Amino acid sequence: MPIKILVAVKRVVDTNVKVRVKPDGSGVDLANVKMSMNPFCEIAVEEALRLREAGKASEVVVVSIGPAQAAETIRTGLAMGADRGVHVKAEGRIEPLAVAKLLKAVIDREAPGLVILGKQAIDDDLNQTGQMLAALLDWPQGTFASKVALGDADVDVTREVDGGLETVRLGLPAVVTTDLRLNEPRYASLPNIMKAKKKPIEEIDAQTLGIDLAPRHTVLKTAEPAARKGGVTLGSPAELVGKLKETGVLA
Amino acid sequence: MVRNPPSAALVERFASIVGAANALTEPAAIEPYTLEHRGRYGGRTGLVLRPGSVAEVSAILATASETMTAIVPQSGNTGLVGGQVPDDSGSEVVLALDRMRTIRAVDAAGFTLTAEAGVILADIHAAAEAVDRLFPLSLGSEGSCRVGGNVSTNAGGTAVLSYGSMRDLVLGLEVVLADGRVWNGLSGLRKDNTGYDLKQLFIGGEGTLGVVTAATLKLFPRPKGLAVALVGVPSPEAALALFGAARERARQDLTGYELMPRIALDFVFRHIPGTRDPLASLHPWYVLVEVSSGRNQEDADATLEGLLGEGYEAGHVLDAAIARSLAEGHALWRIRHAISEAQKPEGGSIKHDVSVPVADVPAFLAEATAAVLALIPDARPVPFGHLGDGNIHFNISQPVGGDREAFLARWAQVNETVHAIVGRYRGSIAAEHGIGRAKRDLLPGVEGDVAMAMMRGIKAALDPKGVLNPGRVL
Ligand SMILES: Cc1cc2nc3c(=O)[nH]c(=O)nc-3n(C[C@H](O)[C@H](O)[C@H](O)COP(=O)(O)OP(=O)(O)OC[C@H]3O[C@@H](n4cnc5c(N)ncnc54)[C@H](O)[C@@H]3O)c2cc1C
Repeated sequence: MPIKILVAVKRVVDTNVKVRVKPDGSGVDLANVKMSMNPFCEIAVEEALRLREAGKASEVVVVSIGPAQAAETIRTGLAMGADRGVHVKAEGRIEPLAVAKLLKAVIDREAPGLVILGKQAIDDDLNQTGQMLAALLDWPQGTFASKVALGDADVDVTREVDGGLETVRLGLPAVVTTDLRLNEPRYASLPNIMKAKKKPIEEIDAQTLGIDLAPRHTVLKTAEPAARKGGVTLGSPAELVGKLKETGVLA
Repeated sequence: MVRNPPSAALVERFASIVGAANALTEPAAIEPYTLEHRGRYGGRTGLVLRPGSVAEVSAILATASETMTAIVPQSGNTGLVGGQVPDDSGSEVVLALDRMRTIRAVDAAGFTLTAEAGVILADIHAAAEAVDRLFPLSLGSEGSCRVGGNVSTNAGGTAVLSYGSMRDLVLGLEVVLADGRVWNGLSGLRKDNTGYDLKQLFIGGEGTLGVVTAATLKLFPRPKGLAVALVGVPSPEAALALFGAARERARQDLTGYELMPRIALDFVFRHIPGTRDPLASLHPWYVLVEVSSGRNQEDADATLEGLLGEGYEAGHVLDAAIARSLAEGHALWRIRHAISEAQKPEGGSIKHDVSVPVADVPAFLAEATAAVLALIPDARPVPFGHLGDGNIHFNISQPVGGDREAFLARWAQVNETVHAIVGRYRGSIAAEHGIGRAKRDLLPGVEGDVAMAMMRGIKAALDPKGVLNPGRVL
């Protein structure tokens, strides 16, 4: 029996935007910058769509937690081909544990056979939500997936680990988080974008779920990485050796 | 003009102006300055001078005028008509501006930037972006071409549609004349009718009237949103209809509209690593559409989706891939910019850089394609380019498995056929790359006697001894 797949997606600052730290160091300035779906989440949506297209899933539901604009990220998932969306409306900084609890609340209602998330979001790089969610649900987890093979009662997840690949078999339902090499997400096509406008997005107010959303961490400081020093063009290998000695790289 | 290589004493004299380290005489050091992008116009020289200041450029030109030494100005060496490389005589000295890389001023409040001739276009983009401004000139060569070359070729590119070509983007110039005198015309004024607008002579002057050493450029507000799509269309006619609708909806915010045939995409996906087809099925023609917004991303998305949706209903659009992220937008643009590169492994290519009135582009394409195929039945036309400007790079790849040299030997004949059709549409045979050496002999045939006489008069007034880029343009 084909299963329902739930995919969590996050709206983040576009990876190609050069972010600037706010003058007071409290975070980065997001006014007027391009926001996109987190790239690992795109990979998660793509994987779910491929499983559905292979006849192994019956429905793909995209869930996002965040302010009103998070609906656009859900719409992006629908334009890629997902069937419907769930928008858990919440303002402010929501930390991974709260996100995991909110997702669990949605999962308790939706009862999917598989949940796919990105391994991390490129804005905070925390890499925690999938693992916390699996723990809260008490489901098996396969993180950093570079291959997902879905069977009737279980799923084989090939993971990118230090020094190679590891394949684990998880009983369903399970949580999978995606790594970069899992797939190359499709573009959103015009007909699908038009269809997506008619697909339903259910709205849930996070406050109604009885979960403590207050951040447990305080950001002390945000700083720009040190600027790279410009390079120099050298004329010959001999000159290079000279420079390396000068700077103490070579003895 | 002296047609012999400069004497050792003269080389010494030139070298003393820039310093020995910046007077290149070793063949290996010189080679990059004599080979151009297409490998068609490589020549010889024994001397490349790399001045570091306006004073040095001035001294070089004064010496050149005095000794009747031909000077070939070169900035980024990406020009496509052979103007920036020396001829085969060995008598021409290359004057390379590539050391003059200072951005002299960035005026965010006044929306201007003043840069020396050797600043790379991509560095101008970055300097403008650093103060939240845009310099809109956008070329496939932007990582290598330099301001001096952009000015001297009146470079166009993909953003002409909305922002104009270099001629519209230059507010002032600093130029060294053939005799070494320096004209400081670096005004940032938006309005200035004091006498003739002299800078216009050097914009598109292709190094024949003076050496540009610095330019004051116009900056623009940076768009707050940018939406990009690759659109499958049934025909150039449909592309033209969609263009009209796109302009109506997006107005000045239609910042890119590029036409490409399927074969161009096939070449790109076959030869350029990291590219892939963004659409699920094949279409005969494509347009790359870019819409900007001064408000926000949602506005740009809504305009683009709106116009494509309307085009879809009208049958002008078959399918479209819309970029979700900046990375996807760059990937779509990469397909367009990689076309010339992807043509190379397909063998010889006969090129035309032509323009016709925008509304005539479909008819021109049909006629020129038929005429070329009548000459060479298995040739593979790959016409692409700036549909919104009526500017088509009417390139023709050789037949599969055919003989490269035999095909290229027909260059002049094919040119003549295509240019004749361009002429009937009252188009241009040198739309954006210029005349250089490539089209010099064609110029008198397309410009009447009156125009030629005026051009010769201007050349004589500014470079009476003919030391600057002889044999180019005129
Ligand atoms: C991949 C690719 C894509 C391109 N796409 C476009 C495009 O879309 N639109 C377009 O218009 N062009 C395009 N070009 C052509 C070329 O990049 C432009 O003409 C560019 O403006 C040339 O700049 P450059 O610095 O390389 O000039 P160069 O090649 O160095 O010189 C070009 C001409 O200007 C003269 N010149 C150079 N510097 C000076 C100076 N300081 N003073 C006086 N004369 C000077 C030279 O003598 C020569 O005649 C493309 C080229 C390539 C290789």
